[in-house]
Amino acid sequence: MKFNLDQTLKDMLAAMQGELGKDWHKVRAVMEQFLERRKLRLKTLIDGHAIGQINRTKFEDRLNTVEKMHLEAQINALRVVSKAIAQKAANAAIEVLEKAVRVSLGRIV
Amino acid sequence: MSLNPKHYITGAAQRTFLLPAGFALLITLLFAGCRVQLLPDYDARISSQIVELARKVDQFYLLMLEIPEHERSYDHYIEKYVDIESGLNSLLMQNRIKPLNENITRITEITLELWTKHKQEHKQDNTLNDALITLNRMDFNDLFYAMQVAEQAKQMISKPAE
Repeated sequence: MKFNLDQTLKDMLAAMQGELGKDWHKVRAVMEQFLERRKLRLKTLIDGHAIGQINRTKFEDRLNTVEKMHLEAQINALRVVSKAIAQKAANAAIEVLEKAVRVSLGRIV
Repeated sequence: MSLNPKHYITGAAQRTFLLPAGFALLITLLFAGCRVQLLPDYDARISSQIVELARKVDQFYLLMLEIPEHERSYDHYIEKYVDIESGLNSLLMQNRIKPLNENITRITEITLELWTKHKQEHKQDNTLNDALITLNRMDFNDLFYAMQVAEQAKQMISKPAE
């Protein structure tokens, strides 16, 4: 049985890098959307405070509590996107290994 | 090694065919179950439930904005508050029972917590001004967006990268 471990590892790494590279821009796009939305919320909050519709207590509560809730939700969403990318990349590498083993076994069976 | 030809043929056959075939079968069986799973599968039903809840919440605040401020008493909105809260509870329950789903479950919990918080604020003040309605509307738009981003990421796993 001839099994080229070095080449297989290189192919596995290339498969993982390919998947990570292709999907990584999605994380960035989501992060930019989150930042843009945060900017809009804060602007609306400051404007509301400036015209006297949002009092100091509510203003501080929004900043200290509600914005923290948003941040936690966004971090959780980004974790899911990262996990999806990691899962895809890991399975692409396993597929390469599986193929290499099958080819190698095919020669002797 | 046995000198009996019958035994010799059996041993050669084992080495040539049976052992590699057995090994191949073993490897195939090992790989068959060898897949990394960090997230549950995409659920189209949950995704459409998120869209529907987001629409209901948006409509709730948009309708409130159409009504003069002095007529926005809490009592007028109890039924809608309860309807949306029960929808969020149902979504939370569905997310909780799925394994590997702790992140989306947490986003749903946060959405429910904020819904209850804003409801209490309305109940306490017995009105909501335009600025607070606009902010509440943005809060839920953004939380449902985070929820959808997470749900759609699961769909990405089964699709080839663009």
